[in-house]
Amino acid sequence: MSPQAKGTLDEYRAPATLAEAAEALADGKGTVLAGGTDLMLQAEAGKTPYRGRLVNIRRVAGLRGVTEDGGTIRIGALTTVTDLLNDPLVAEKAPVLAATADKFASSQIRNAATVGGNICNASPAGDMILPLLALDARVELASWRDGALATRTVALDGFFTGPGATVKGPEELLGAVLFETPPAGRTARFVKSGPRPALEIATVAAAIAMTVDGGTLRDVRLALGAVAPTPLRAKRTEALLEGETLDGDLIARAAETVAGEVNPIDDVRATAWYRKHLVTIYVRRLLQDDGKG
Amino acid sequence: MTAKVEIEFTLNGRPRRVTVPADMSTLTLLREELGLTGSKLACGEGECGACTILVDGVSQNACLMFAVDCAGRDLLTIEGLRTEDALHPMQRAFVDHGAIQCGFCMPGMIMQAKYLADTTPGLTREGMRRGLEGNVCRCTGYKKVFDAVADAAGIDG
Amino acid sequence: MDPIAKKSVIGGRVPKPDAPDKAVGRTRYINDMVLPQMLYGRILHADRPHARIVAIDTAEAAKLPGVHVVLTGKDMPRMLFGVNRDNRPLKGDKVRCIRDEIAAVAAESEEICDAALALIKVTYEDLPAVFDPAEAMRPGAPAVHDEKPDNLSLAYRFDHGDVAAAEAESDVVLDDVFDVHYVTHCCMGTSCAIADFDTDGKLTIYSQTQYPYNFKMDLAPALGMHPGDIRVIQPPVGGAFGSKLDVYPYEPVCVLLARAARRPVKLTFSREEEFINAPTRQPARIHLRTGAKADGTLTFRDVDCLLNNGAYTSWGPTTPYVMMRTFSSHYRVPVVRFHSQAVYTNNPYAGSFRGYGNVQATYATASHMDMLAERLGMDLLTLSLKNAQESGEVSPQGSVLADCAFAECLTVAAEKSGFLEKQARYAAARNTPGRIKRGIGLASSIHNAGGAKIHKSDGCGTIVKLDDYARCTVITGASEIGQGIDAVLCQVMAEELGIPMSDVTIVNNDSAIGPWDVGVHASRTTFIAGNGARRAAQKARAQILKAASHQANMPPEGLDLREGWVVLDHSGEPVVKLDRLLRQMHFQKDSELVMVTDYYEPPSEEERPGHVGDMSAAYSHAVHVAEVEVDTETGEVRVLKVTSAQDVGRIINEMGLEAQVEGGIVMGLGYALSEHLLIQDGRVRNPNFRDYKVFTAPEVPEMDLHFIESHSQTGPMGAKGIAELPTIVIAPAVANAVYNAIGIRFKAPPLTPEKVARAIWDRDHGAVAAE
Repeated sequence: MSPQAKGTLDEYRAPATLAEAAEALADGKGTVLAGGTDLMLQAEAGKTPYRGRLVNIRRVAGLRGVTEDGGTIRIGALTTVTDLLNDPLVAEKAPVLAATADKFASSQIRNAATVGGNICNASPAGDMILPLLALDARVELASWRDGALATRTVALDGFFTGPGATVKGPEELLGAVLFETPPAGRTARFVKSGPRPALEIATVAAAIAMTVDGGTLRDVRLALGAVAPTPLRAKRTEALLEGETLDGDLIARAAETVAGEVNPIDDVRATAWYRKHLVTIYVRRLLQDDGKG
Repeated sequence: MTAKVEIEFTLNGRPRRVTVPADMSTLTLLREELGLTGSKLACGEGECGACTILVDGVSQNACLMFAVDCAGRDLLTIEGLRTEDALHPMQRAFVDHGAIQCGFCMPGMIMQAKYLADTTPGLTREGMRRGLEGNVCRCTGYKKVFDAVADAAGIDG
Repeated sequence: MDPIAKKSVIGGRVPKPDAPDKAVGRTRYINDMVLPQMLYGRILHADRPHARIVAIDTAEAAKLPGVHVVLTGKDMPRMLFGVNRDNRPLKGDKVRCIRDEIAAVAAESEEICDAALALIKVTYEDLPAVFDPAEAMRPGAPAVHDEKPDNLSLAYRFDHGDVAAAEAESDVVLDDVFDVHYVTHCCMGTSCAIADFDTDGKLTIYSQTQYPYNFKMDLAPALGMHPGDIRVIQPPVGGAFGSKLDVYPYEPVCVLLARAARRPVKLTFSREEEFINAPTRQPARIHLRTGAKADGTLTFRDVDCLLNNGAYTSWGPTTPYVMMRTFSSHYRVPVVRFHSQAVYTNNPYAGSFRGYGNVQATYATASHMDMLAERLGMDLLTLSLKNAQESGEVSPQGSVLADCAFAECLTVAAEKSGFLEKQARYAAARNTPGRIKRGIGLASSIHNAGGAKIHKSDGCGTIVKLDDYARCTVITGASEIGQGIDAVLCQVMAEELGIPMSDVTIVNNDSAIGPWDVGVHASRTTFIAGNGARRAAQKARAQILKAASHQANMPPEGLDLREGWVVLDHSGEPVVKLDRLLRQMHFQKDSELVMVTDYYEPPSEEERPGHVGDMSAAYSHAVHVAEVEVDTETGEVRVLKVTSAQDVGRIINEMGLEAQVEGGIVMGLGYALSEHLLIQDGRVRNPNFRDYKVFTAPEVPEMDLHFIESHSQTGPMGAKGIAELPTIVIAPAVANAVYNAIGIRFKAPPLTPEKVARAIWDRDHGAVAAE
């Protein structure tokens, strides 16, 4: 790798507040350091060169932790995957996030990797993204506008524009991810390819959120990983399931629909055939309350 | 020109002050600047765990951690684990259970094992196996590692 | 003083003496070393599999501050090395595979090296490439080496008896092709060398080599040096597993950089380089025909083996030497025909890797035995016992199976695992509902366990020195690569000399000090170096007891050494303290120091023409039973339990033995299920631990190990070599278990989830099975 391709870091900042962080990114020449599990590797490989200034946000106050306020759960960008695994609020209100965290990389990576980083990294196989998509999450983007901190909120569905690419501008900082507290009776599950329990880049992963109302499916959200250039909401399959009665016939039709809805590629991890094969299996398992994988 | 940053931190119980380039990894800082070669470079991608250290008591792959981010932290490496007189019980268990063959992965394995034992109340054998999933060993087949960790961490069975 | 009773340390559980230093991070591995004035070296590898090198422009690289030396193959004479003398340190004329070393840089740091490599401009003229050995054999195929237009590298033939006649007598003939894949060692310490010249032009190379003495011989031609002017120092290494049994180009390149720079140079592979440029296990396409009578008696094996040689020749293409012994000696086979060819292609190339051909061959033979049992309607245990040799039998290649415990290994493994009962139960459950299916499979093999006489000598030199404090130094030719010969030698010294193991120091890291040895390979070190050390210790013991006998006025036979004392053998009554006696022996006019040498040559033979000869001083068997769970939807295979019965001769260090067997099994499980170095169009597609999947902690099955002690007449204290069999046997046991679970035979490992899922899908949808 040519050293030029990794870009430069001729300045370092370690802001203490969100406003300072946003200011440090204002000219679009900042590279954000959060968990750091991908940053150095991607820069060294020339995939995402350093932009000139390393902005270490790890000391920004208030960016780590899970809180609930007025029926909305807020996960700070610096919340680690291990935090999700151990958080009592997550365990009570959104256990699918802990279940996903349990399938995420290794202990050391879980200790470092942040929710914000996993979203901004925008890998088509990013595990944490899928349950958040299924929970209709949105992200808060902070920036420095006209001498003040500004924020905008963007739905996670639509946030991703390609592998490693999002609608977030280089001057923006993802501060938090938010979603409405799932009401009682809402089910959410996550399933990921093995056979290793966690330390895998998913060949296929999938998450679902749904409400089963007297046998009828409501508000179905199905998110799929590693079957498209971005994490994917399977909206045709969702529409097929919406308002229908959950039975064997419906599950079979859902599996058929989802196979037609994804267009995966052959790569070093799997063929397109196997990815489609797994997607249909996982959709069946998610609907059959067999998310163990 | 890569920015150089002066940082202060605690390393194996002693305060340190160093100046590091902004793009340097903590593993490079430890191995090449500070001469602590116990933490190993085996993949440099966070995939093998041979560089595992504890940062504020939490295990991290030093190869992925920016050295500038050590500022204000408390780092423990394999070199700092033993006391003056004796091996740490986790180190002792690895020796006594025959868990060390070529040994190259073992500094990272031992640090991760210590993290699991320190931070997991009621650690089970299955939890231990999961907790070690990020540490690759090519010699032992892990069995003796499990025996050592179970012994040192007081896991039954 | 009280009498001292006789105690033995043989069979104990002994930690490796180097373990405490390794546990505290104090051990200075070669990868950790820095010499004063040291520069760093890096290699520019080719980025294409086959091309003429038209021009290399290094001018910009040489001008970069911090760069000391830039070398290309154009700068140096053709210095050929390797098994076929077909490799060069730096390639000047053409590229034959993506590993090819085009240029090298020595600079003040690795970062500067990388910057310099990026400034080197190479002009290539691409050539048509060939990657499949069958295609490479066809007339008109691109020639990998211009001087070898037929691309043939190495061929082996072994013929014993009349296959046609044996076939005519057979009731059943199985005919299958097994295609075994590329895997790589994944040593945790990546490849590394440090070269340093003195002012007289003599070289010291710090190396990870497993064979320091012949390493000098093999390295010298790549440098145009005399082997005697090379000193090999072996710092601790992060694993080897056979990968360091040859000279690979990075080593002479490192030396050439140091010579040009007149400074020490260290060259270390990145992990990505390690995956791409370090040797692999030899892949093979094995066409095996096995004949048997209706009662299960094997009648013949007929084998054609085609090997992808890759672009250059290291040990990989010589593995048929070992494969043929599996085909001729794994079970009683009266008629054997084995032909193999290794054919040059533009692929990367293979070296030796734990099991050395036997991993590949046993995948075929052990799969075929399972298939044969089903075909004949016999159970595999009965079939195996019927064809298992007994002590004293001689195989068609002349292997004399003394102290043979094959049948006992079969019986123990089958009984302890409940093999027959479970196999019948799981087969019956195959077509019942449920997506998770269980299966159990049994496999066995034979391997040399008393060295392998592939050279004129298979010997090992030992020097044993006892100093005036009765501390013992063992200077041995045998290398330590993590396998644990250090602990074994401490035990042998303690046993023979009556001293604590902690009083023994092993010196085996400097070719200028150590006596000659073949190297760490062929499961030979405990057997060969153990025998040698024991003989040396016995010489020292005799010298000591002779001196003591004068003092005690007692014949030496009546004395013994125990706990640092010379004692009366019958009563244990102390006579004189050993250190005191040694001082008396040493500190006098014309004394003879207690410093003895031994060269142990095992009682084995080099093969005669026709590949017949008793090439090892002992043979051993292992039997594995694997129990698996198959998810018939996703194709994921989980190994639940492995039961192993292995003939170990005699247990010396029980803990080290277990560790070798456990490690070997888990390494072999990776071969069976998850590890596959994907090489497509000559390029490695998965050069990282993300996509090259070695087994990790949560995947490890329960392991139930049984050691059968056959008490080898030739081994040290009765021990046999043990280290390779666990890796050899496990993969076909897993494949047989998967067959038991789902009824599909996989003739091409690894059994990845996709491969298994695809095969099930194809079967259920009427397609021909994928494999």
